[in-house]
Amino acid sequence: MRSPAAAIAWEFRGRHRRGLIALAGYLVVLATFKLIGPGWTFNMDSPERFGVVVMGPLATTFLYVLTVFSFGLSGDVAGRQSMYPARMFTLPVSTAELALWPMLYGAAAITLLWLATRFLALWPSGFDIPTVWPALAAVSLLAWTQALTWMPYGLPGLRVILAVLWLSTIDTIVLLAIHYHASEPVMVAIVAPQIPLAFVAARLAVARARRGDVPDWRGRFAGPVPTTAVPAVRRAGSGFSSPAGAEAWFEWRRRGRTLPALVGILLPFELALLWLARDAAAFVFEILFLVAVTPPFMAAFTGWTGSKPQPGVGDSYGVSPFSATRPLTTAELIGAKLKMASWSTLAAWGLVFVTTPLALAWSGTWSLVLDRAQRLNGAIGTPRAVVLVLLILAGFIVATWKHLVQSWYIGLTGREWLIKGSVLLTLTFLILLGPIVEWIIDSSSAQRALWNALPLILAGLVVLKMSAAAWIATRLERSQLLGRNALVAGAACWCVAVLALYGVLVWFFSTPFVARYVLALVAILAVPLARLSAAPLALAWNRHR
Amino acid sequence: MNEPVIAVSELTRRFGATTALASVSVSLPRGAVYGLVGANGAGKTTLIKHLLGLLRAESGSVRVFGRDPVTDPVGVLSRIGYLSEENDLPGWMRVDELLRYSRAFYPAWDDDYADELRQAFALDPAARIKTLSKGQKARAGLLIALAYRPELLVLDEPSSGLDPIVRRDILGAVIRTIADEGRTVLFSSHLLDEVEQVADHVTMISHGTIVLSAPLDVIRESHRVDGRVPSLEEIFIAHVGTPASDPGP
Repeated sequence: MRSPAAAIAWEFRGRHRRGLIALAGYLVVLATFKLIGPGWTFNMDSPERFGVVVMGPLATTFLYVLTVFSFGLSGDVAGRQSMYPARMFTLPVSTAELALWPMLYGAAAITLLWLATRFLALWPSGFDIPTVWPALAAVSLLAWTQALTWMPYGLPGLRVILAVLWLSTIDTIVLLAIHYHASEPVMVAIVAPQIPLAFVAARLAVARARRGDVPDWRGRFAGPVPTTAVPAVRRAGSGFSSPAGAEAWFEWRRRGRTLPALVGILLPFELALLWLARDAAAFVFEILFLVAVTPPFMAAFTGWTGSKPQPGVGDSYGVSPFSATRPLTTAELIGAKLKMASWSTLAAWGLVFVTTPLALAWSGTWSLVLDRAQRLNGAIGTPRAVVLVLLILAGFIVATWKHLVQSWYIGLTGREWLIKGSVLLTLTFLILLGPIVEWIIDSSSAQRALWNALPLILAGLVVLKMSAAAWIATRLERSQLLGRNALVAGAACWCVAVLALYGVLVWFFSTPFVARYVLALVAILAVPLARLSAAPLALAWNRHR
Repeated sequence: MNEPVIAVSELTRRFGATTALASVSVSLPRGAVYGLVGANGAGKTTLIKHLLGLLRAESGSVRVFGRDPVTDPVGVLSRIGYLSEENDLPGWMRVDELLRYSRAFYPAWDDDYADELRQAFALDPAARIKTLSKGQKARAGLLIALAYRPELLVLDEPSSGLDPIVRRDILGAVIRTIADEGRTVLFSSHLLDEVEQVADHVTMISHGTIVLSAPLDVIRESHRVDGRVPSLEEIFIAHVGTPASDPGP
């Protein structure tokens, strides 16, 4: 190994050996299908079969290559720091080379993946598959992903938002060109120039990261929000009345402001669409729906990163010794995190409640909302209309909190393999979900079977959930993480929440088509129990290794 | 009556194929300065992590103040001052915030003493931890470990973070004061000359095994050769075969 280029290639190969072997195995399977295809009845004309056999695995493998060559497995995607490995900054190699070699290897790998899929996979008959521009599009997407992941940012989570917005924009341009039947040379002209542009951006990103230029905008965006919106948040200057209060402040300062900050960044863009909507009531309500789902969606994302300690600590997913040696029980540490999650949820929704009416009033769309409200009022009466709106809002707020906390049982374990494995599983599930949903929508027999089996499926899930909860409760009691009184009190609170939700569901769905026991099953499944109560076990496993 | 502050019995810990601690047994009575010495990777930090409950005993038992640090973290950690080898103080905190935050956990926190130490360590209360040098971070860590006058002070490789001036002029004096007040200090190091200056009792560890554990005076006397008392470094080499400061192959 006599050159930096060979050393970097060797590192990619050595570190991701198993994944690359699996990728090669996938290509062999594709080739096998192709070889036996002509004499076999298996065809790809069915969209769902094509989706499951070709598009699903292709998307997964594409995502894998994207993650490997952008160093996405070695850093904190929600963090401010560059994800380019800092250890490589001290190599006697120019910044341009540091950016170039991973980009070049990534481009080669993703091009090979596309060409192999293009020529080895079975495609639907009568479908003209282009060769050159999809390869270039894949390379440009990878290059932009590399530039965006290697760039240091001023706020946690900003990388994800910018990546989603920018990559979606590129995708949209390509999809529009396909929609208008652009020729191959036009498609090449659209995607090819992006590759050198992405290289320039990536080089700039690596240069900034290499000289430690990480902006910090947290004080500007997130600082003023909590103190006004959440009076319960204690400032360090006034001291703390209890260790639990100090720990809750610590959690708030460490992670609590991320969700309000992310929501605060997205809201202006979403609410600006109200000025485009004008008299289109349906569009206005779509925008309001988008605004309402933003906090729960962003909460699901920030929830995954809720367990990460400060960067620079040896075991990046483990609890830092500073936190682990606080003289608090593990249950108290979780309690502080739960408080933080509540403040974070309220702060995020405080932003929504303040900015949305202002945007509606200034954009002149307030009258449309009032008109719909009056119609609802006329249809079901004022008390029911008020209760309905409040319940919907409460549902969104609770969903935000739930999304923040329900993935802790994985994140708090501090086990890198478990965290990354579950992320990969979730992504794979989401990729496969599309074709499966499409199949269900297209198939009336599948819908019938699903509808008939729904109570059984729900009952099975309830059994699974309650069994897991019982096992977790036993473990919590045995390991002395929670006392019997606390467990009984928690179970009682959970029962009250389930009964309340059941009451709401019965009131809302008063129809003979949905049986009461199905609503009870839904209520049991909707209120967090097993995953939430597993959080102390996960943290204890991490804290006392 | 004089129940040991630390009682470790037959403690074994493995990380994969590597045995970090092999049937380690240690009993440390209160009111003395204990030096835990060994080369890098000998098992010092692993043993300390067990004392703090950061690692669960795979086999054997660990008791600190007669309690299990894993099942009773509050009962143990509220009486221990700990300076970590890793500089892991939260970078976003200011020094005064760190003090107020830490104060909340320890009823015995002494504000006057904390301020005295802060001035002695020349720490600006308005400075953010992330802007401090490595030595200043270690001083801040030492400050919050000392300010509530813990019954047991655990210092994990303090020499790796603290600058020579603090080590020479302050750390030694602080350690002696704590011991004179009847409290206990356990500090790990691979710099044996520093251990020799302050420790009353030395425990040598090598490849996860205790090779020697005795009062320093006894160790010296028992290794006297032709009237000459060898240095701790020489004694260590005699028992382990390599110097403690040698990271090994």
